[in-house]
Amino acid sequence: MADLAIEVKDLIKFYEKRGQPPVRAVQGVSFSVRKGEIFGLLGPNGAGKTTTLKILTTLLLPTSGFVRVMGFDVATQSLEVRKNICVVVQDNAIELYLSVRNNFRTFGRFHGLTLKEVEQRMGRISELFGLKEHLNAKGVDLSGGLKRRVQVAKMFLIDKPIVFLDEATTGMDTFNKRSTIAAIKEEATKGRTIVLTTHLLDEAEELCDSLVIINHGRVIASGSTDQVKAMGLKMMYVWLDFEKLGKKTVQSIKKWKPVKLEIKGASVELTVKDEKAALAVVIAARKTGMLRNFEIMNATLEDVFVEIVDKKQEAA
Amino acid sequence: MQAVFAIVYREYLIRLTSPLWLFFDLVVPLMYLLMFGVGLDRAIGLGIALEGRAVSYNEFFLAGVLSMSCFGSAINQSYGFFVDRDNGIFYEFLTYPMTRGQFLVGKILFQCLMSIVQAALTLSCAVWVLEIQLMWEFLLPLIAGVVIGIAAWFFFLAIFAFRIRRNDTFNTVINVAYFVLMFVSSMFYPLDSVPSWLRTLAMGNPLTWHTDVLRYFTIGLGDPQVIFWEIAGFGLFLIMSFWVAVKSLQKAV
Repeated sequence: MADLAIEVKDLIKFYEKRGQPPVRAVQGVSFSVRKGEIFGLLGPNGAGKTTTLKILTTLLLPTSGFVRVMGFDVATQSLEVRKNICVVVQDNAIELYLSVRNNFRTFGRFHGLTLKEVEQRMGRISELFGLKEHLNAKGVDLSGGLKRRVQVAKMFLIDKPIVFLDEATTGMDTFNKRSTIAAIKEEATKGRTIVLTTHLLDEAEELCDSLVIINHGRVIASGSTDQVKAMGLKMMYVWLDFEKLGKKTVQSIKKWKPVKLEIKGASVELTVKDEKAALAVVIAARKTGMLRNFEIMNATLEDVFVEIVDKKQEAA
Repeated sequence: MQAVFAIVYREYLIRLTSPLWLFFDLVVPLMYLLMFGVGLDRAIGLGIALEGRAVSYNEFFLAGVLSMSCFGSAINQSYGFFVDRDNGIFYEFLTYPMTRGQFLVGKILFQCLMSIVQAALTLSCAVWVLEIQLMWEFLLPLIAGVVIGIAAWFFFLAIFAFRIRRNDTFNTVINVAYFVLMFVSSMFYPLDSVPSWLRTLAMGNPLTWHTDVLRYFTIGLGDPQVIFWEIAGFGLFLIMSFWVAVKSLQKAV
């Protein structure tokens, strides 16, 4: 148990409003996160992942269940939990009337850094996140993407064992997204535990060592990223490139009931249930005499995610 | 304590960004005293007869100005929660390494320090411009009364700031509360001369207790036994408000 950063067992959270039936946001979720791991909490909108994150970060109390962060109970030892975490909340959180420099200073002071220490660390952080030229700009004058960058950069100013990132790269441009992902990876190698929620599955696939997929407040898949992908191991991704793409060809492809189908000009990207279906699709495409090129590979986490969520919804 | 001082540091940096705000924060009570107080003082002329002594309206109103500025500062500071919510920083604060109580104390501590400067300016003006005879031996309890007053009203108003999600609703509630609490109290007029129903209501108003205590410490007006109970009542009001504010903050997400 000593190597666990987070333990969640049978977590339940109901939101109660007078005169209305309780909303069951989280219904018996269990998972654990090892120290030094990058952990992903995935799920469609309204799945319960932000509620779970709010409980883990002591913003909300659980209705029932057992939640420990760095060995401390979130319900009874919330201050100890907060001493061990830093959090990027889902909304932009920045002091609008303070400069970026003073945003770093106040954040550092809250987490026990002296102003000297903040100044020393600010140089590296502002370089890493491309904020050097904005240090004297006030929060109110920054674009949405820059505000988010400041918010995320603050977390790397301090050395808390666990970093929670709720949709951290939302609103960032590609360059900053890459920098943030690189920074997250670097911090994890230093032994920090990173917990992230994201709807960008390619990001989760690139970053996460393990993950949990939540839907309707319940865990529908969990394990290492590879294990979760293996749940849809038979699923194949097929890319077909035609000289000319006719309606007939598209209809013949649709016969194989692809999980996902995307047409871009004369190219078709699709995910099918298994290898047999993938081969059949390619054979059908060749028969048109218009196929220039094709590729078959394992499905992405996104395809698996869509398949798992859909299946569970159908079952429900 | 580190977290409390971090909030004071943050409030200080924010206040520095607007010198005009800082200026008005300090001089608004002075303006009340010099404009409203002096005007009524001239209108009343001979002053008010209280407890066998004639008291000028300026003398009487000085404590009202101090308690009014405590209440006003507390309103401004509690409204800050809405600004923090709009900036998104409010929820981030709640994940910082501090208790909910420390968060509340930190939020008001800077304003308490400001209120000491504010009170010093107001008292200086009262003594040197309006020639009010202050009870200097009560200066320290008077300053304590100002600080405790602003804290108590802040905790009380914070309860509404946490429970009411819309700032327009909060503004309406506070405007009504401000109006009722101020005029059903001893802030502007002695309660001896008001109808008995109004006096009864005013006697149960914490703003009356606070103003009476400050009046006792500024010009020595009031029955010490009554003042003792008013101090006790206001202390209880402070503790209860703090406790309910902490509980409300725990449910504010």
